[in-house]
Amino acid sequence: MLQIIKIEWLKVKYYRTFWVFIGLGLLSILAPNFIIHDVFARRIPKEAQPLLGPSIYDFPTVWQTVSSVGSYTSGIFGLLLITLVTNEFTYKTHRQNIIDGWERRDFVLSKLFWVVTLALVAFLASLIAVFIFGSFYGKAAFSLENSHYIFYYLLQVIVSLSLALCLAILVKRTGLAIILFIGYTMFLEQLLVFIAKRNWGNAGGLLPLQAGDELLPFPVMEKVEKLAGYQVPYDNGVYLMAMVIYIVLLVFVVFSKTTRTDL
Amino acid sequence: MSTILSVKNISKMYGSVHALTSISFDIPAGSVFGILGPNGSGKTTLLGIVTNVLMPDVGTFTLMGAPSSAVQRRKIGTLLETPNFYHYLSGYRNLQIAAAIKQQSEADIPRVLELAGLTARQHSAFKTYSLGMKQRLAIASAMLGDPEVLILDEPANGLDPVGIAEVRNLIRELAKSGKTIIMASHLLDEVEKVCTHVVVLRKGKLLGSGPVNTVMSRDNFVEIGSADNHILGTIIRDHPAFVQLLPSNEGLLRVTFNETVDLADLNNWCAQQGIWLNHLQMSRKSLETAFLELTNN
Repeated sequence: MLQIIKIEWLKVKYYRTFWVFIGLGLLSILAPNFIIHDVFARRIPKEAQPLLGPSIYDFPTVWQTVSSVGSYTSGIFGLLLITLVTNEFTYKTHRQNIIDGWERRDFVLSKLFWVVTLALVAFLASLIAVFIFGSFYGKAAFSLENSHYIFYYLLQVIVSLSLALCLAILVKRTGLAIILFIGYTMFLEQLLVFIAKRNWGNAGGLLPLQAGDELLPFPVMEKVEKLAGYQVPYDNGVYLMAMVIYIVLLVFVVFSKTTRTDL
Repeated sequence: MSTILSVKNISKMYGSVHALTSISFDIPAGSVFGILGPNGSGKTTLLGIVTNVLMPDVGTFTLMGAPSSAVQRRKIGTLLETPNFYHYLSGYRNLQIAAAIKQQSEADIPRVLELAGLTARQHSAFKTYSLGMKQRLAIASAMLGDPEVLILDEPANGLDPVGIAEVRNLIRELAKSGKTIIMASHLLDEVEKVCTHVVVLRKGKLLGSGPVNTVMSRDNFVEIGSADNHILGTIIRDHPAFVQLLPSNEGLLRVTFNETVDLADLNNWCAQQGIWLNHLQMSRKSLETAFLELTNN
């Protein structure tokens, strides 16, 4: 595996697009939190702020806030993964890697390495964001309470990246895979959730990305929903299990497609 | 002589098209093995299966006496179809990736770049290379680690005449050093000059395999001409050793005999029949003629 990691590093070390995407991904985790903090701290009148309760960037709520905000922008890492994978098909280097001495499973492992690495980059960036916002913008002392939210976020990023990988492997063309990924994450799944919830009830909340969203409600919205009497229909374990099942299924499709068909 | 590649009953279909039908042959170690066939005959499909980028529908093959695996492929230098490299990386960095996958030392990269004549452009991005330079980089990559076996699919693609001659000389030098070279090519002149063995494919079917002269009969023929070749063509059929008239060009007749004929005797025989020859030459059928005869039958 170390050899595979070294080779993947050689592929991206001097690839400008990769570094631009990484920069954008990191910015997409920090920037929205700055904007939201600005809206809550500066634009909501000081007299109205006590009505909202403690700041969403105070510990322990900051764990939930940063994780929830991050779940909206993590798709950028999916776009980077699609680019990395479909580049191989465009340049036919996936074939050359096999010809030169990789097993087909090594090729899949090399892309799974990026799923894990990009998820960890997003996770670590979010962790740093929690410390920055909780320490510099929050008023409460550091606390690990609610830190489980950031692990929910990690799992949701892995689901999102697994979906991106699966689309890239199946579609092979960069543009089409990106359009399908954006279309699914931004519109299609929301539409499916709406239809499913309307026709089959709460099971609609178990769709791949929605399962993560159900676990990562934005703190203010959660408060409003609680006031309205809304309760999360399933235990957290159900959503976590659903996400793990999606990851396993998507990775299985990737392995199956790569190891059993012509390249 | 041991076997480098043994192909057994390999078949492959693309939809309803039979790309390969029950192909079986062996490639002996140390041979320069040409895979010949017209466009669409299945040459690249066959090499794609051997290099594990395509899956056969039926059949098996062994490489160096063992079932195909990454370990075997690392010992083979392969250039399949087009040169496949990362466009945004330089030639040198692309070779670093190839060397890492082949588990070869990067110390060999300068040697193969020099061999391919790319030392001066090694730090330029691959996307800035000409077609010929891309092909040279692919050859350099195949040569990494000085493999004992090379698979070259149209190695002269995109090269200028000097480049073609260089590749031909390189293949000869490699063959002399005892390496096994498996080469698919349209350029029969190239194959004729370097190959010891061939397999001939047409529409996915095997027409023959083995030593070049066994697979493609290339008997000597005599080229004759007279003032009236029509009469000469009729009379020559009465020669006691006559076998057949080959397709001719430039108004001459190409005749094969069932034994070696002495040209003076033949000239004398024609004179006795009242025909005076103005052209008489012993020749050998070109590989191209033999190939066309074989693949058109």
